[in-house]
Amino acid sequence: MPRILDVGCGPTKYPGSIGLDMNPSTAADVLCNLDRGGLPFRDNTFDEIRGEHIIEHVADIIATMEEFHRVTKPGGTIWLVTPHYTDFSSFRDPTHRWHLNTYSFLYFYPGGMHGRDMWYTKVRMREAKLNVKLLKLWRAFGFEFLVNHSRMFRQFWEHYLSFIIRGKLMEFTFEVIK
Amino acid sequence: MPRILDIGCGRKKYPGSIGIDMSAAGQADVLCDWEKTLPFAESSFDQVRLIHIIEEVDNIFRVLAEVHRVAKPGARVTIITPHYTDHASYCSPAHRWHLSSFSLWFFSDDPQEYDYYAPANFRERRVHVELLRLWRAFGFQFLINRARWIRRFWEYYLSFVIRGKTVEWELEVVK
Repeated sequence: MPRILDVGCGPTKYPGSIGLDMNPSTAADVLCNLDRGGLPFRDNTFDEIRGEHIIEHVADIIATMEEFHRVTKPGGTIWLVTPHYTDFSSFRDPTHRWHLNTYSFLYFYPGGMHGRDMWYTKVRMREAKLNVKLLKLWRAFGFEFLVNHSRMFRQFWEHYLSFIIRGKLMEFTFEVIK
Repeated sequence: MPRILDIGCGRKKYPGSIGIDMSAAGQADVLCDWEKTLPFAESSFDQVRLIHIIEEVDNIFRVLAEVHRVAKPGARVTIITPHYTDHASYCSPAHRWHLSSFSLWFFSDDPQEYDYYAPANFRERRVHVELLRLWRAFGFQFLINRARWIRRFWEYYLSFVIRGKTVEWELEVVK
């Protein structure tokens, strides 16, 4: 059975996972504040880490991703859902520290920045999958399909259109490289 | 006479209030690092003002919990902050948070689920959005402030074009 860690699991933990949260009135199995030291697990413990609406809250994204990478097995996955910075939800929660876009995790990819590795972290992961959700109206017009099926269009959308044709959520699946 | 507290009063302290600030350069009556604790007794103010200050604090919930403590039951709390679509939200590198007109909904809409993060209890008496002058002239400001659903639609679809300026809340302290 795959070992799954649900980080910031809240009241509805992912079935079959180990839930981690800082709030004791959630479904958490382990209580831990990500901003105060690392994860209380050994290296290479999990096949999958799930973080739904969590990365926009942490004090240090790079340190947190390094911890996720450490406790994930080689070839394991880190799955994150977070608001796109053009969505209203990014600005509704007064504990959101970061406003992110589809390129916000380039630092971790091999050859991430125009074919060159970035030096902010030594940890590497591959973007196995990215799914962008747009507001309903724009989905109906087919923009969501375009953003998800053409890299070029996604870049054009981020650069030119995203303040009008606003995003909603981003769902990243990273494959851990060790 | 009502007792008024002006937090982060700077150079323009609210008339008749007690001003508190970290900097001695302004008109503050009390100088201290007020972000962790306010140096006042429980239930001692009828009105608390936080004007262009919550976008700079380390933890908005902790500050509002302290405001709740020093305010009398039924006291009014006035908060003004830049809307996240206004350039002013990004002008100062001291601005930690970029907020919308629904950023304080934790206190009123969904008290149960978010009690852990926002234990203090406030009632949202009034939310008012100011827009840029051009949009105000076209009547958008009037429309947005008229109904909650219009404001919501504006936040989701229009606010990066018809840009906001400031958001003003009036909260009532519930004890």
